Amino acid sequence: MKHLAAEAAIFGRSTYLQYVALFQWATLRGYVAYKVLLPVTQILFFVELGVYATGRQHALYFALGNALQLTANAGIFGVIATVANERQYGTLPILLASPANRLVTFLSRSVVNVIDGIATVIVGLAVTVVLYGLDLHHANLLLLGLCVLVISLTTAGLGLMFGSIGLVMRDAIIIANIVYYVLLIICGINFPVSRLPGLLQLVAYGLPLTRGVQAARDAVAGASLGQVGGLLAGELLVGLVWAAAGYLLFRWLESWARQGGLQEAY
Amino acid sequence: MKSLARAAFSAFRLSIRLRVISPWSYLNWLLFPLLFAAVGLYVLSGPGTVSSHLVYGVLGGGLIGYWSVTYIDAGNSIQDERWNGTLEQIFATPTPLSVIILGKVSGGLLFGLLAFVPTAALAFFGFHAELPALDPSRFVISLAILTFSFLSIALTLTPLFALWRWAFSMLNGFELGVYVLCGFMFPVAVLATWAQGVASVLGPTWAVRAIYASTVAGGPHDFAVWWAAAVGLSLLYLVVGYFLYALVEREARRSGELALA
Repeated sequence: MKHLAAEAAIFGRSTYLQYVALFQWATLRGYVAYKVLLPVTQILFFVELGVYATGRQHALYFALGNALQLTANAGIFGVIATVANERQYGTLPILLASPANRLVTFLSRSVVNVIDGIATVIVGLAVTVVLYGLDLHHANLLLLGLCVLVISLTTAGLGLMFGSIGLVMRDAIIIANIVYYVLLIICGINFPVSRLPGLLQLVAYGLPLTRGVQAARDAVAGASLGQVGGLLAGELLVGLVWAAAGYLLFRWLESWARQGGLQEAY
Repeated sequence: MKSLARAAFSAFRLSIRLRVISPWSYLNWLLFPLLFAAVGLYVLSGPGTVSSHLVYGVLGGGLIGYWSVTYIDAGNSIQDERWNGTLEQIFATPTPLSVIILGKVSGGLLFGLLAFVPTAALAFFGFHAELPALDPSRFVISLAILTFSFLSIALTLTPLFALWRWAFSMLNGFELGVYVLCGFMFPVAVLATWAQGVASVLGPTWAVRAIYASTVAGGPHDFAVWWAAAVGLSLLYLVVGYFLYALVEREARRSGELALA
């Protein structure tokens, strides 16, 4: 019990340090640029593209999809940056030399970004309500909230996986850019997954967001937990698998980085 | 004059060499435009869409890549100089900052043009999409004017990036807003009236309009007006830029915080 409390304390302290030292948008200008301007303009761009292609009556499909995809802004960019920035600031060797429990250190990297992901989606949904008249009167708001939480967790799981690569790669944030926009294409954000080639559909269902966004669309239409429970369970499972794979990769790459001295390369 | 041209060419050559070895460069001219083109092509070729709209998917990704590389080149080149500790030396050299930036941005423009290759290939091979009624001469003139417009904007914005580090973050955050206002992947006419007003003071908006008009047979074809608007606005940016460079040179020397900004 005492050991568990000590680990919880490390987890809390590590989470706090992630925020004060590695959450790079913790300034007003930084936050406005990347957490307000970027989400708002992303929604505007894809909704107007969708409206031009398919008509004004489909605006909400694009708006909702992109508002929910914003979780990846925090879950992917934020989480990957927590490792990439350790390298840039020269603290990665110190981290790897510490005796701290690796699982605790690893998981603590996602907490702030999960919360931030939820906040970003709220901004996105607000934009959708104001600009495109998203009608939430018939929506199951509690379920929608649950969907947002689940999606934030699962995208952070994927972020942990690719964040691990930052242990041996200097420009890991490039990976974040690629993953973020790949999610935008193949997870049913702007067009149904069924339009993708067969192989890409398989990939889509192996990624976060695909089931979560579908569940959230259903929740906005008034679906109950029973109707979308399977989608949400699948979404959670996908996120867990990515996080677990990320942890294994983290341990393996940690060992590799030690051998090659890669953690100090910048 | 000859020494200035030599300095600009050196900056251009260095910019190209750095881009060849930079993974970020490949992200910006290859992957990023491809990903946007893929979304655009899927959305614009979906059930119930109008086939003539597909031209925006063919060129949209390339235009996005072209712009991204250009403005990122302008912004990041200054940030890189700051982080490498060479920004103060650049300000201290007898060669004007604008000449060095001109060389750097020209390198970005050259790389940016490459973005049209993979995106057009994706459109053709992946979606069997092509430009239905291409008018080559008008297309080339419009693209040249767009290039001039991008160059003007990059030259004008760069002194701001030197003076205020946050200026680049803001523009970066607003990147997709530029795609919207300049009509890279859909016409500006679909936007709200106030947004069209904002778009009309951006030079690239007019050049992009001319580019798309040169690929289709229908619709208005007021090329002379569009080209004049794009060139006129771009020249206006350069005038503003002239004063900005003077301001930045003065402020940088007064505050002594160039490396810290």
